[in-house]
Amino acid sequence: MEIVRIEDLKIYYKLIDGVAKAVDGVSIKVYPNEILGIAGESGSGKTTMVNGLVRLVKPPAYIAGGSITVNYGENGIPKEVNLLRISENEMRNLRWSFISYIPQASMNSLNPLLRVKDQMMDVIRERSNKSKEEALTLLPELLKRVNLSPQVLDMYPHELSGGMKQRTIIAMALALSPKIVIADEPTTALDVVSQLSVLSTLYDVCRKSKTSLVLITHDMAVHAQLTDRVAIMYAGKIVEVGRTADVFKSPIHPYTKGLIASIPTIENGGKRLEGISGIAPSPKNWPTGCRFHPRCPKATDKCRGAEPSMVEYEEGHFVACFHPEVKK
Amino acid sequence: MKSINEIKKIANNYIVRRIVAYIFLMFLTATITFFIFRLMPGNPVEAYLRSMEQRFPQYFETRAGMELSQKYKEMFGLQGSIFHQYFCFLRNIVKGTFGPSLLTFPEPAEKLILQALPWTIGLLGISTIIAWLLGVLVGVFIGWKRESKVSTFTAWLALVVSQMPQYFLAIILVFVFAYTLYLLPGTGAFNPLLKPGFYPEFIFDVIKHATLPALSIILVTAAGWIISSRSLVITILNEDYLIFAEAKGLKPGTILRNYVMKNMLPPQITGLAISLGFIVNGAYVVEWIFNYPGIGRLMAIAVGLRDYSVMQGVMLLSIFGVLTANLIVDLILPLIDPRVRRG
Repeated sequence: MEIVRIEDLKIYYKLIDGVAKAVDGVSIKVYPNEILGIAGESGSGKTTMVNGLVRLVKPPAYIAGGSITVNYGENGIPKEVNLLRISENEMRNLRWSFISYIPQASMNSLNPLLRVKDQMMDVIRERSNKSKEEALTLLPELLKRVNLSPQVLDMYPHELSGGMKQRTIIAMALALSPKIVIADEPTTALDVVSQLSVLSTLYDVCRKSKTSLVLITHDMAVHAQLTDRVAIMYAGKIVEVGRTADVFKSPIHPYTKGLIASIPTIENGGKRLEGISGIAPSPKNWPTGCRFHPRCPKATDKCRGAEPSMVEYEEGHFVACFHPEVKK
Repeated sequence: MKSINEIKKIANNYIVRRIVAYIFLMFLTATITFFIFRLMPGNPVEAYLRSMEQRFPQYFETRAGMELSQKYKEMFGLQGSIFHQYFCFLRNIVKGTFGPSLLTFPEPAEKLILQALPWTIGLLGISTIIAWLLGVLVGVFIGWKRESKVSTFTAWLALVVSQMPQYFLAIILVFVFAYTLYLLPGTGAFNPLLKPGFYPEFIFDVIKHATLPALSIILVTAAGWIISSRSLVITILNEDYLIFAEAKGLKPGTILRNYVMKNMLPPQITGLAISLGFIVNGAYVVEWIFNYPGIGRLMAIAVGLRDYSVMQGVMLLSIFGVLTANLIVDLILPLIDPRVRRG
C-alpha cells in the first residue's frame, strides 16, 4: 500500500509570453520504507514536481491539474487525503510530522539570526506536544543521528560548514519522525567528499527510522548505489520507472540508456563517454509526440505523431516508448 | 605591570577599537573643519573693518582701526600663525567654546547653539522615532500581505510621498491647517504671551506648535521607511530559509516574528540610529518655513550673516552627532546580529 500516489500532476509556470509546462502529467507512487530516486537532466521538472509534492508551489508557478493522494493512516488503517484539496491549516499539520523536505539550497535554508537550537526547537514546540525539557533532551540525539556534536546547537548558521549545515537540515527534517522525506538535490552545494558522507548519513537515518525517502539528483551513480527504485524524468514526464537494479541492468528507454552510458566507469578505461546528442527542449514548447524524439536515435514517424503511454515490461518496470529494446 | 600581550589583547578588543577610531575621527573632522574655514578667502575681521573704513572715512582712524582689528582678531582666535590658531581652536573645543557670535555679539556662539538645540532635538527626535515606528510597522504589513489591493495602493502612495520635498508638504499643511481651517498655528515654537516653563498649558502649546512641522517631517520620512521596510520584507519572503520555515509547518505568526522581523530589523535599526545622529543638523527648510527656533534656522541665519563661530559650532556639533550615532550602531549591532560579533 503506497503512502503517496501522484496522479497526472501538472505544474505550469505562467510567463509573459506563454505557459511553461514544467511538470506535465506525472504519475508515480511512493511506498513505505523505500528510497525512490528521481533522475533527469536540468529543466526536466524534478524540483518543480517535488515542490508540488510539499505544496510549496510559488507564483508564477501554479498547479494546473492532477492529484496527490497521501495515506497518513497508522497501523494499516488507511486515511487518505488529496494534498491539493486540503486547507492551509490541514496542510500545516501534515508538514514535518508526515512529510518533510530537505531543500536544494541547504546553504541558505537556515535562519542566519537564530541559533541552531532555536530553529529546531520552534518546530518541535509548535508542532508536537512535547514540553520544553523533553524537546531539549531530544535535540542532542537528533544531531547524533547525523554525526554532529551537541555543540552545534549553540552555534549560528554562519559558524557551520556547508556539510554541517546540510546535516543540521537532515536532523531537522527527521525531528518529528515523518513518514516520508523529500530530499531535493541535497548535495549539490557540497564538495565530493562531503557529498558522500552526507548522502550515506541520509541513507542510514532513513533506513533506521523506516522513513521513505524521495531522493532527487541528476547523479546517476548516486541512484545506482542508494535507491530502491528509480524514476527517470524527461521534459516534464516520467519516461521510465522501475527497481533500480532492473533499470540499470536493462534500461529500456533510449533516454535512460543515454543517461546510464554517461556514467564514467573504470572498465571504460579512458574512452570518451557517449553523451546524448542535442539539447534539452524548452518547457514553453515541448516537441510533439514523444518528447524525446528530436534527440532519439530510433525515432520514427510514429514517435513524432503520437505520445507513448507507460507499459509494464517486467514487474514494476514501466516505460513509455514505442521502440523498447527488452533484453531477455 | 601588564604584559605586552595583555595590552595587545585590549587594543584588539572590538569595543576599544571602535572607541579609538571614534576619537581619531572626531579629531580629524575637527581639523578639516578648521582648515576649511581658513581656506575661505579673506579675513572676516579685516573685511569688516575695511568696509567700515570705506563707509565712514571721516570717523575712521587708521591707528585705532589697527588696534580694534588686533583686539577683534584676538577675540575670534585669528591672530598668530595658522598653527597657533589651530591649537587655540582645539583648546577651545575641549573647553566647549566656539568664540563670540556676530549675531549676538559678544555672546558666545555656544550659547545660541544650546538655546536652539532643545527645540531641534525635541522636534526632530520625536518625529524621527514616530516616523520610524510607523514606517516599519506599515512597511512590514504591506510587505507581508503584498498581494492585497490595500498594500499595492499604500506602496504606491508611499512612493509618491517619499519623493515629495518636505517644504512642499510643509507649505500645503500650513495652507490647509493654519490659514484655511485655523486649526493649528503655522509659525513659531510657542505662544510668546506664555511664560516658558514646565506647566501643562505651555507644554500643550508647544505640542500644538510642533504638530505641523513634525507632520511634514514624519509623513515624508515615514514613507521612506515604508518603502525600505517593504522591500526588505519582500526580499526575505523569497529567501530560502523562509521557504524552509514554511515547509516546517510553522504558524504564520511565528514565521513573521522569528524569521521576517528578526531579519529585517537590524538594517532598519542601523538606519534609525544614523538618522538620529543627523537630527542635531536640524531641518533647515522646515524650521525656516515654520519659523521654528531650532539649529537649522540658526544655521541659515548664521550663513546669511557670515557668523563663522556659529557655523563652525553647528558643523562640529553635527559631526559629533553623526560620529556618535555610528559609534552607537557599531556597539549595538553585535547584540542584534550574531554575524557581526567578534572575539
